[in-house]
Amino acid sequence: MAGIVAERYTGASIKRSEDQRILTGAGRYVDDIKLPGMLHAAFVRSPLAHAQVLSVDVSAARALPGVVAVFTGAELEAMTVPGPDALMALMGWAGPTPQFTLLATDKVRFVGDPVVIVIADSRYVAEDGCELVEVEYDDLPPVANAAFALDPSSPPLFANLGDNIARLHSRKEYGDVSGAFASAERVMDFHIDVHRHQNVPMEGRGCVASYDADLGALTIHAATQSVHVSKIAVAMRLGMEQGKVRALAGDIGGSFGLKIGASREELAVAAASRELGRPVKWVEDRTENLTASGQAREESFAVRAAVSNDGDLLGLDVKAVVDTGAYPGMGAMVPDIMEAMLPGPYKLAALGFESTAVTTNKASYVAYRGPWASETFVRERVLDLIARDLGLDPLEIRLRNAAPRTDPPASMVTGRPLVGVTTRESLERIAQLVDIPAFRRRQAEARAQGRYLGIGVATFIEAAPGPREPGGPSGPMGLESMRLRLEEDGIVALFTGQMPHGQSHQTTLAQIAADEFGVPFEQVRVVVGDTDIVPFGLTGGSRSATMTGGVALHGARQLKAKVLDFASHLMEASAQDLVIADGYISVRGDPASAIAVGEVARQAASGDFDADVDAHLEVEAAFDGGEGGWSGGTHCATVEVDVETGIVTVERYVVAEDCGALINPAIVEGQIRGGVAQGIGAVLLERSAYDEYGNCQSATFMDYLVPTACEIPRIEIEHLETVPLDADVNFRGVGEGGMIVAPPTLVSAIEDALSPFGVRIYEQHLPPARILELIAASDSGQ
Amino acid sequence: MPDITLKVNDATHTISAEARKTLADLLRDDLDLTGTHLGCEHGVCGACTVIVDGRAVRSCLMLAVQAAGTEVTTVEGLAPDDGLSTVQQAMWDSHSFQCGFCTPGFLMQASAFLNNHPDADERQIREALSGNICRCTGYQSIIEGVLLAAERNRQR
Repeated sequence: MAGIVAERYTGASIKRSEDQRILTGAGRYVDDIKLPGMLHAAFVRSPLAHAQVLSVDVSAARALPGVVAVFTGAELEAMTVPGPDALMALMGWAGPTPQFTLLATDKVRFVGDPVVIVIADSRYVAEDGCELVEVEYDDLPPVANAAFALDPSSPPLFANLGDNIARLHSRKEYGDVSGAFASAERVMDFHIDVHRHQNVPMEGRGCVASYDADLGALTIHAATQSVHVSKIAVAMRLGMEQGKVRALAGDIGGSFGLKIGASREELAVAAASRELGRPVKWVEDRTENLTASGQAREESFAVRAAVSNDGDLLGLDVKAVVDTGAYPGMGAMVPDIMEAMLPGPYKLAALGFESTAVTTNKASYVAYRGPWASETFVRERVLDLIARDLGLDPLEIRLRNAAPRTDPPASMVTGRPLVGVTTRESLERIAQLVDIPAFRRRQAEARAQGRYLGIGVATFIEAAPGPREPGGPSGPMGLESMRLRLEEDGIVALFTGQMPHGQSHQTTLAQIAADEFGVPFEQVRVVVGDTDIVPFGLTGGSRSATMTGGVALHGARQLKAKVLDFASHLMEASAQDLVIADGYISVRGDPASAIAVGEVARQAASGDFDADVDAHLEVEAAFDGGEGGWSGGTHCATVEVDVETGIVTVERYVVAEDCGALINPAIVEGQIRGGVAQGIGAVLLERSAYDEYGNCQSATFMDYLVPTACEIPRIEIEHLETVPLDADVNFRGVGEGGMIVAPPTLVSAIEDALSPFGVRIYEQHLPPARILELIAASDSGQ
Repeated sequence: MPDITLKVNDATHTISAEARKTLADLLRDDLDLTGTHLGCEHGVCGACTVIVDGRAVRSCLMLAVQAAGTEVTTVEGLAPDDGLSTVQQAMWDSHSFQCGFCTPGFLMQASAFLNNHPDADERQIREALSGNICRCTGYQSIIEGVLLAAERNRQR
C-alpha cells in the first residue's frame, strides 16, 4: 500500500488504518476467540418481573451429555465476594447500596434476570441445558413504573432499602428562584417524559474468561470500553489480587455506553472459569441484549418556567424522576450531571432542581451516549413551548436567550464558565444554511394542499472536556496517561488506555503523533486492549479527542525531545540543531546527515554509551486537558408528517457544530451522523417497552425497531472552529452531541408540522400511532 | 450427523453437521471463517449475510445442511489476491464504517446487489441495503461507498 502523502495529517480525512482488517473479515471480536478446551455458557433467566425464587432444580440439566457444570445463584454466591458495582465504586457512589448477587438467589427483579448459568461443550448444548432447569417462583406484585415505585405501599425490590427509592437528590437552588417566579409575567407548568430506549450495539456483550490454576491467574477477553475497569471489576468480585487478573480486548462491535466494566453475567462467567479451570465463553444473543443488557433514559420531569412576555426564560424549576430499573447504577448518578447542565448555553439566571431515582422491575438503567441528555431535551422543549405561545420563531427565541460571548465569559447559573461557547454563531450559521423564510412559504403552500411540513431547531453544549475551572489544579476530566516508545524498527508506539469501539483511535492518535514526532502516519502504532501494557483509561464521555489527543501530542513532543537528545550524542550535533522529518533525523540544513529514526533506536539499544547518556527512548506522558472548552452546536431538521398514517419523514437535517480543531473531519462527521441517527431512531422508532406486569415487549428486532438506510436522511454538517483556547490542544469531544440534540430538534420540527392542529408535545417517543393520537386529541383534531 | 459437502471461497469442504446447526455457525466454528458476524440470529440485522450460489442470504437463517452442494462466498473470499475488491476499496475510501461489526453483511449485500444492478441510484441502493442494520454511521458513508463502487465499476 502506498504511503499517505500529506503536509500535515492532523486535520485531514486520512483513511482509517482499522479498515484493512475490518473490510477483509480479519477483525477479531470477542466471539471470534477460540481457546483450547473452551466451554460455552448460557443463562437461565427469569420469565417474571418480580418473584420469590422458591426452588431451583438443576439435576436434569447436569445429567445432559455435554453439560459440564451448572451453577445456581447460591452456588455462584459462594464462589464470589459480595460487593458493589465496580463502576459505581470507582465513581465514588455513596448512597444506599442495594444488596444483590450476580445470579438471583432469593428473588428475581426483572424479566431476563439471570438465575442459573449452564456451561457446556457448545452453546447449543448449554441452551439445551437451560431448558431442563426447573425454577419454581412465587409471584410478587410487579413494580412496573416509577409512579408505583414512588408509592410507599409498593413492594421493595431490595429488602435492605425498605422502599423503592434508590436515591433522593435533595433540592438545590441556584440564583433567586422564588424572585424569578414572583416577578415573571408568565409562569408555565408542564410535565415532560423521556421514554426508555437503549444502546443496541451490533455486537452485544460478551467475554471469554480463562483461569490458569497453576498461576492462580485469570485472563478475561472482554468487549469493554475499558480493560482496566473490567479487570478491577473481576478482581473485586472474584476476590483476587488485581495483579492476578489481566483483561484483553480486540475489536469491539460498538457500545455507546453499554460496555463499561464487567456486567453480572461476565463476572459469573469469570467465576465459572475459575471454578472449572477451563476457558468459558459467553456472548449474549440479541434477545438477551434487548431484555437484559440494560436500558436508558426513562425519566420524567415536572417543569415550571418563569418567562417574560418577550420570551426571556428567567427561571426554571425542575423535579425529575429517574426510573433506574432493577439494579441501580448509572441512573442514580445521572441527575447530578443533569442539574449542572440544565442551564445550557443560555442566560437562565435561576434554577431549582431536585430528583428521585427509583427502582422498578425492568432492566437496569445504563449509560447511553450522553447519559444526561434529557436535560437538553427538557430545556429545548421549554424554549419551543414558550416560542409557540408567544409566536416567536425557534431561532429567534434561542438567539434571544443565548448567553453572549463576553470577556470574562458568562457562567451557567450552576457554576461553569461558558468560555468559548459558540451557540450564537451556530444559530446564525443555521439561519444562513437553511432559508427559513423560504421554508415558511413552502410550508404555507403545502398546508394549502393538505400536507404538513415542519421545521425544528435545537442547540446543545457538552463538557467535552469542559472549561478549566479558574485556579483548579488540573483540567476537568482529571489526567489522561500514555506511554510512548521509539521501537528499533522505527515505529513510534503509543500505549493508551483508550479502548476504541468504533471511534477510530488507531487512526486519529497516529495522525497527531506522526505530525508532532515527524514520522509517516504508517510509522505510528497505537496499542490498546491489554491491562499488562496500557495505562489506565476509559473510552467514554467524549473524552478522547481532547484528553487522549492531547496526551498523544504532548507525549510525542516529549519523546521527540528525548530522541533528539540521544541523537545529539550519536550525530555530534546539538539537539537544537537536529530536526526529525518523515522518519529521519538530520542536522538542520544538511540533508546528507539524515539517519532513520529506527537506526537511532537500534543504536540506543546497543548499549555502547556512557552511563550518563539516556538511551531509554520511552516516555510516560500525562495531560490534564489544557484549557479545555466546550463542544456544542445547533441542529435543524425539516420534516413532513403524513397526518393520515402518522408517518414522519425527515426531509433535511443540517448541523452547525463546534468541536474545536478537527483531527480527522471524516471521522468527526461519522460520529455526528451516527449520533443523529440514534436520536432519530429514539424519536420515531425505538422504545424498550414493558406492559403493566413488567413483561418486556421489545425482545427482538421485530419489536425494537432501529433505523435503516431508508429512514435516515443525508445529514449536512458545517464545522465552526471559532475559539482556540489552548496553545496546542483544541480538539474537543464529538461522540455524544448528535444523540443529545437530535431528539429535541426532531420533536421541535414535528410539533411545528402539527401546529395547525394546535398540538403541543411533552414527550420524546413519536411513532406513527402516537402522532395520530396527538392529532386526534388536539383542538382541531375533530 | 450428516456429512455435507460445500464449496466456500473456492475451497471444497466435507463436514459433518448437526441438523440444527446454522450455516453461520458452520462457517464460524467449523471453518474458522469468523469474518461473518452474528448480530441478531433472527434474520433482521443482516450482519451474517453471505453469498450462496450468487444470492445474498442470511447465514443465521439457513441451516448448514441446506447449504450442501452450494458455493458460498464470505467476506474472507471477497478480495482478489492483489488487494481489495471494488466495493471494499470504495468503502475504505468513503470512511464507510466505524466499529466494523455490521461490515461483512453490508459488503456482501452490496456486492451481490451491484452485480445485478450496476446502474442503481441512491434510492435503490438505500432500499437494497435496508435489511442491514448499522448502529454507528447513520448510513450516509456506507451509501457513499456503494455509490462510489458503482461508479468505478461503470468506468472500468
